[in-house]
Amino acid sequence: MCFCKLFTMLLLLAVLTGCGDNLIPSNEDKRTTVQAGSGGSAVSQKTPDFAVPDINGTTVTLSSSLAGKKGAVFYFTMWCPICDTHMSAIQSSIIPQFPGVAFYLVDYVSGSVTGAADAVTASGYAGGVFTTLADTNHTLLTNFQGTMGTTVVVDNNGIIKMNEDFRDGATLHSVLAALP
Amino acid sequence: MNINIKSKCYFISAALLAGGAALFPSHSQAASCCGGSSAASLSVPKYATAVADLSFDTEVYDGYWNQNGKHVIDPPGSDLKQYRLNTGLAYRFATDWQASIAVPYVFNVNKYSGQSSQNNALGDMTVAVTYELLDDNSTGKVRSANDLIPGVTLGLSLLVPSGVSPYDDQKSSFDITGRGFYRLDGTLLIEKNIRPWNASLALGYGTYFERSVNREYGKYVAPYRKVLGDRFTTTLSSGYTYVLGTGGDSIAATVSYTYMREGNTSYDGVTDSGSGFEKQSVGGALSYSCTDHNWGVRAGWNHAIQQKGWGRNFPTTDLFSVGVRYVFL
Repeated sequence: MCFCKLFTMLLLLAVLTGCGDNLIPSNEDKRTTVQAGSGGSAVSQKTPDFAVPDINGTTVTLSSSLAGKKGAVFYFTMWCPICDTHMSAIQSSIIPQFPGVAFYLVDYVSGSVTGAADAVTASGYAGGVFTTLADTNHTLLTNFQGTMGTTVVVDNNGIIKMNEDFRDGATLHSVLAALP
Repeated sequence: MNINIKSKCYFISAALLAGGAALFPSHSQAASCCGGSSAASLSVPKYATAVADLSFDTEVYDGYWNQNGKHVIDPPGSDLKQYRLNTGLAYRFATDWQASIAVPYVFNVNKYSGQSSQNNALGDMTVAVTYELLDDNSTGKVRSANDLIPGVTLGLSLLVPSGVSPYDDQKSSFDITGRGFYRLDGTLLIEKNIRPWNASLALGYGTYFERSVNREYGKYVAPYRKVLGDRFTTTLSSGYTYVLGTGGDSIAATVSYTYMREGNTSYDGVTDSGSGFEKQSVGGALSYSCTDHNWGVRAGWNHAIQQKGWGRNFPTTDLFSVGVRYVFL
């Protein structure tokens, strides 16, 4: 019986110290309302300006990324298998449908322009349709509160239209289709 | 999502062969991208009441298979590791029935040229019940057809999302230690010992429970439903046990092959066709068992083959494990 108690205690300890959000998931919409057009990373907010080098050393800013475009997509990658799946889906299924949109990969892990360029090559995306940004100072990571798989859509006024995980790409597609 | 985490199918049947206690580890997930976890089920020898097991895993990430099965290297300067301290208890509550619990504690250590992080938290734990349908009456020489009857064990296990998942208040994918989903697995273990040789086949099929998601990496999002694809695993293993002297101490060596596949994820009932993954790996283990005192120690290595076609959409890793167990009579 002593062993039974130990077993039960271990089970209870694990459950109690585990994350309640996962043990009992919530379907409640807990998004907070933000003032449209205010500065921030949430949908409907205006993204702050940035200046980040691409892997060729060219500085990309918010205004340059949107110049002549309906909007811009920023996908945060750490060159993992999930990222690869997402990037491949964007490349093959999304980009051809939205020629008026700029698509950027945000490398927030490589730490340098040359490191990001090497990662692009190693992952097989060299010479592709993406422009890869080397977010060495984590400017974009901070601005958008990004992490692996975060997908951000900014319209040509700098307003954030989407900022969430890529998932299956359906949301990205619908948001891009709704860009004016 | 591992994993997590997550994963690295690992199998040591040497423990079973050496001392009657088995550890059927474990599929974990990439530390930084897929969620980490370690689900182990323990087996109590027929003659014993319970087993306690403590093990330590070091999983070293080294590239991944992309969705076409091509092996891709990690970014230069990256060093990704996950350490797991696994505690397991199994208890025989009836002649042919036993229950077990396995609780991993996960340490993520990720280093890229431009970012590094360390985090630790509880992983996803596993509770299991097994039923021994047929006993393997181990023999040293086959004298009749009955001697060829293998041991057959049926099991049911529940993966409990006690780890930190992408749906918690964690802003970075580097910090997750679990996948965030319950999973119910049915398992079948067929094993045969003809001393000093042994062989086993372990099959598992698991299905995740759909859940609501209203937060991703700390950011609240419009709620949606998500479920991961069903998981199938199979492990073939074979081993040899060498008895030391006359005291009952023994050393067992085991080699194994594992295939694991997980189906596509669905969002609000719509399947994401590119999200499933596969992995093949090979492993080896050595265990020493002191029968008189019911102690056993082991060390194992599991290797994902970094070649095209040996996996899909999943990290390639090397998993090193050491463990100790005690059998309660």
